[in-house]
Amino acid sequence: MHLAYLDAGSGSLIVQAVVGGVAGAAVAAKLYWRRLVARFRRQPTDQR
Amino acid sequence: MTHPDTGLRADPGSFRDPTNRVFHRDGEVLRGLDDRATADWRALAGSGFFRALLTEGKVCGTEEVAATPPWSATLRHERIPFVSHPYEWSFGMLRDAALLHLDVLRAALDGGFTTKDGSAYNLQWRGAAPVFIDVGSFEPLREGEPWAGYRQFCQTLLYPLLLQAHLGVDFQPWLRARVDGIEPDQMRRFFGGARRLLPGVLTHVHLHGAMQRRNSRATTTDVRAQLRDAGYSRELAAATVRGIEKLVRRLDRPPGGSHWSDYQRTCGYSAQDRLAKERFVEEAVAGVDTPALALDLGANDGRYARIAARHAGYVVAVEQEPAVVDALYRALRAEGQRRILPLVMDLADPSPGGGWRGVERAGFADRTRADVVLALAVVHHLAIGRNVPLAAVVDQLANLGAPGAALVVEFVHPEDPMARRLLANKPDGLFPDYRRDAFERLLAARCRIIRRAELPSGTRTLYQAVVGG
Repeated sequence: MHLAYLDAGSGSLIVQAVVGGVAGAAVAAKLYWRRLVARFRRQPTDQR
Repeated sequence: MTHPDTGLRADPGSFRDPTNRVFHRDGEVLRGLDDRATADWRALAGSGFFRALLTEGKVCGTEEVAATPPWSATLRHERIPFVSHPYEWSFGMLRDAALLHLDVLRAALDGGFTTKDGSAYNLQWRGAAPVFIDVGSFEPLREGEPWAGYRQFCQTLLYPLLLQAHLGVDFQPWLRARVDGIEPDQMRRFFGGARRLLPGVLTHVHLHGAMQRRNSRATTTDVRAQLRDAGYSRELAAATVRGIEKLVRRLDRPPGGSHWSDYQRTCGYSAQDRLAKERFVEEAVAGVDTPALALDLGANDGRYARIAARHAGYVVAVEQEPAVVDALYRALRAEGQRRILPLVMDLADPSPGGGWRGVERAGFADRTRADVVLALAVVHHLAIGRNVPLAAVVDQLANLGAPGAALVVEFVHPEDPMARRLLANKPDGLFPDYRRDAFERLLAARCRIIRRAELPSGTRTLYQAVVGG
């Protein structure tokens, strides 16, 4: 993975999607939706 | 510090990106590149957008020269006539610097590149024209990644502009105190209640801060991958930059002058005094053999800086009041002036060294070796207004000049209306040494006085002296 020398800040990366208008907000929404889905998918395995 | 064998002097402000470093040799500004930075540079040098930025003067002149070990490649940069820091700029200067950064970034994105960072320190000035200096910041764009420099841009450029434009708070002390700028969490405390609705505040301040808090445990590697998977694209990155640019263009300094804005009109000069003073300054500067740098202390509307610019290579016009500097900057910018740099600075509190070890951002005195120093209507403000001992004032003026520099200084007699007004605010007899003969003795101890002239009003004397002469 190629990383920049500067810590771009995780929140600072996501907020840029929101600033980029409707299409950007959709990307941010998709990111959060996927995180949510991933959490529910993980839970059953975690409980075993 | 200069290396004894190689004659190389590492620039103390260039270390944050280990892939490339700025150093100095025989008065040249050079940049060493490691393997990765060299590959990026070669791609950049072959790109059309970068050539266009160079031609338009938006990026500082850069060419590759023979590599200096241990670097894989070495670049030589155009010399910036006088290095200044963002906390010495006026609002208009910071805004134009921010707009240039965004302009450069937009051109880079169109050309398949990006900038690794977004700092106000990526910019410098050629007179009243900003220039992007961090050529090491360009790297090829990786599809699906937002701008890594956004946070830095907010902290060192956008937030200071929001503070000034929305609240009328001078941003300079904030930038001077914090080399990395203002954090979102500090900013949001200024913008509670209805102020959340001011342009740019809800997203760039509040949402930004909230996102940082919520994602504090997520690594940027994970978030980059998540954004890419969610469909973040190059077009979105460009739209984000356009959005920020639109916001910055809307921001302006709220009106509201300072009493200094009217100084030329209200300071009590007669027209004859002004003419005599202009003539004296003109003759003094013209008499110096090709001065490279002239310093105008207490520049106000830049009248004498402009006179100096007729003869000197470059003029730095220092003025304490941000609003006055802003007016001067806008005038110089409109004229396309490339040889007068206006700066905000209090002479009784000049910029100290800042950043790592206090040398990353050099203090004003360390950057200044002028060939001409103009100190017109300045001494009484320091000696009476700020209680600086007269001898210390003379020392400081002489120290700002190189040995042999011309010092043009005005001494306002205690009987002058302006001096009397300042003295009226202090207890009687507090400054028994504030006299013309005492001043002249102190000046003669540090400099060789070669000329003096009484102004027609009879309460002001001009001196031309040679520093250390």
